[in-house]
Amino acid sequence: MKRSTWADRLFDGVNITLLLIISLAMIFPFLYLFSVSFSSYEDFLSSDLLLWPSNWTTDAYEFIWKSWAFRNSLMITVMVTVVGTAVNLFFTATMAYALSRRILGRRVLMFMVVFTMLFYAGMIPTYLMVKATGLLDSMWALILPAAIAPFNLIVMRSFFQSIPEELNEAALIDGANDLQIFGKIILPLSKPSLAAFSLFYAVSHWNNYFAPILYLNSPEKWTIQVILRQIVIVGEATATLSGDNTFVDNPPPPETIQMAAILLATLPILVVYPFLQKHFAKGVMLGAVKG
Amino acid sequence: MKWKRYTTVMLAASMSIGTVACSGSDNDKGSSAQPSASAGANASPSEAPKKYKITALDYRYGNPPPSSSQGLTMINERFNVDYQVTFVTNTAYDEKINAVFASGEIPDMVGFMAADLKNRYSKFAKQNAFLPLDDYIKQYPTLQAVPDFIWDALRVNGKIYAIPQYAPKYQVVLMVRKDWLDKLNLKPPTNYQELKEVAIAFTKNDPDGNGKNDTYGIAIGQDINPNLNMGPYWDPDAWYHKNDKGDLIPGIIGPGRKEIVQMLADLNKEGAITKDYATLNWADTNKEFYSGKAGIFIATPRGMSQDYMNGLLKIHPNAQFIHLEPFVDAYGNKGLTSAAGFNGLTVLSAKLANEPDKVKRILDMIDFGRKFYKESEKNDKNPDFDWWSGKVGVAYDMKDGVAVNRENWANDGLAPSTYFVDNAAWPPEDGDIDYSLTYQTKPLSDLVKAIQNMYKTTKLYANPVNSAESKTDIEKGAELRKYVMNEQVKMIAGNRPVSDWDKLVQEYLDKGGAKIIEEYNAQFKNKDTKALFK
Repeated sequence: MKRSTWADRLFDGVNITLLLIISLAMIFPFLYLFSVSFSSYEDFLSSDLLLWPSNWTTDAYEFIWKSWAFRNSLMITVMVTVVGTAVNLFFTATMAYALSRRILGRRVLMFMVVFTMLFYAGMIPTYLMVKATGLLDSMWALILPAAIAPFNLIVMRSFFQSIPEELNEAALIDGANDLQIFGKIILPLSKPSLAAFSLFYAVSHWNNYFAPILYLNSPEKWTIQVILRQIVIVGEATATLSGDNTFVDNPPPPETIQMAAILLATLPILVVYPFLQKHFAKGVMLGAVKG
Repeated sequence: MKWKRYTTVMLAASMSIGTVACSGSDNDKGSSAQPSASAGANASPSEAPKKYKITALDYRYGNPPPSSSQGLTMINERFNVDYQVTFVTNTAYDEKINAVFASGEIPDMVGFMAADLKNRYSKFAKQNAFLPLDDYIKQYPTLQAVPDFIWDALRVNGKIYAIPQYAPKYQVVLMVRKDWLDKLNLKPPTNYQELKEVAIAFTKNDPDGNGKNDTYGIAIGQDINPNLNMGPYWDPDAWYHKNDKGDLIPGIIGPGRKEIVQMLADLNKEGAITKDYATLNWADTNKEFYSGKAGIFIATPRGMSQDYMNGLLKIHPNAQFIHLEPFVDAYGNKGLTSAAGFNGLTVLSAKLANEPDKVKRILDMIDFGRKFYKESEKNDKNPDFDWWSGKVGVAYDMKDGVAVNRENWANDGLAPSTYFVDNAAWPPEDGDIDYSLTYQTKPLSDLVKAIQNMYKTTKLYANPVNSAESKTDIEKGAELRKYVMNEQVKMIAGNRPVSDWDKLVQEYLDKGGAKIIEEYNAQFKNKDTKALFK
């Protein structure tokens, strides 16, 4: 270990200060959410900036927990995220593996994948497609149309290609078939990449708002983002340019309830993050460097 | 994680044609196990032998009711239908409607927002997507109750394709903290000069008497909202002033608006309006008043937030409120702009044209949902009201002679009223519905009562633009308005002098405003603004 010079220490000091400021900026909104959600409404009204609740109360949480729609949507979202991510990983990994081998028509398939990255058919054709396949108003409408994200597929494929060819040959000599090679050699070696992609996929399922709005008809199947938006935006949408100055039908819930809802909806995915975080750094570099 | 957007069906389809088949196409349409209507036992208003499946699409604020519940079962039994209604959140209704209509399967009944009137409603009606309703209006009492000026506003190529959902013609009026006025020995303002003086006094003379400099005059947020009009003369949305050709012009470029912008610019210099008024959203603007910082805001009978009011009364238990009477304008008129008088539309699908019996059944339902009950009829003795509210002892209880809904009545869908596309009663007169009864907080319900009483004697200006249409306005209007609004915000901030007003009006005209004025005026039948006060 080299002795650090004065310049090194200065550099570190500046670095640490900068990063502290940046992380504070990230943490601050959550702290604010947290404080407001545990405060009473008049405390929130009478203070300009709440950074710590002066009188703790769980009223907002009790109010939200009473609503079946919120509880139900939380369960639905967990289900869609778990099943959806499993489906995503299965199809992305198998297709990426196939495309990483020299198979017939590989270039055509690759072209089709890249094509969809650049061109999007549009909302209405997609809706018609979902309708024609009979997926409307089912959980699968949120999962199948987005079963493979082309970007993730391409990154995963280059990761598989970066696995030394010799391993493959050795396995072939030992008499393994393609499926066995994939299951026993490639997948175990790809744990970091799979973890990273499951995080990408899970977060996008969790935050999915547009697909449930479009494809689901029964409120029992709504996901958390739909309900959340309803709780948070309803008070914002009224002050439009139409000169409509009232809370037409439904005054918004107090901010304490809005903040509690946001916190509850963000919490589950936040809890998952740290466990996948360590794979994340590797995941970002996937396939970028051979070595 | 934006790249998820790029994922398309094409890829999924090219990949997983097999999977869709494998997944068993889980196409469960919700467990709407229909209890078959037991024959004869129901005293349904339409004793028809045939059971119809009726589909509906509508938006809801707040939480949606469940898709199988007591309320739905009651509807199915009473009207002998299989009623399948889809509720979408109001925040996402636009996208949903576009997708559903594009798929070519328009539900039997669709709810539209009032804002859809001039674009989506008229566009689809011109394409014959809806059923013309002119012949049915005379057959149903709640449709007859709708005044002609509203029907006229709904005409497309001379035909009526929608049923308006009731909303009172009330606009918003200014409300002032009465306890502050009393403390400073001030009278309620009767014109903008006095309003300005009160706002400055609220800022400088410590109206709450706490010895701190922590109050100010008017709470205002982005897009100069509220617009503070106390009559059509100052209303940016009213067509009330005339240009030198005798054509009506929009209020946003009229002399009344200039007066308000000038006043706000002066008050801004004194610190008497909300500091970050240019960027504050509506909820935060409300907070400025309901946290006890500002002393002047707006109120209206319908759509006040009781939570906000309770919050304010906890901070300032002695707070009192009064509303202001309309101001007399330079033409000697006194009154308020009338709101459109409806708040949503119900349309029927054109496909129903060859099923007259089904249309009749649907209209029976709609008519029932619009039925008006006097206060003396809103109890368990009235069988229709009792059914509508989900039966006494189940969805509501009688307390001191007043029907009070149980806490879970809406969330659990206990009452049929929750599921009707149009569930607003159409009263004979605006004054017949007492909105003050919907608030339990006394200062709030007193304020609402006072505003309702004021409306009984206030003349209302029928804004002619409500029943006219301009192509240029639909195309460019919103953008143009936004531009003028932003320039006026600059004037209030002092970044552009108010003496530039005439230049701004010219900019508006040059950017398409002149064409909008021309198109609307070609349609206005009556330009005598005095006669439009009713």
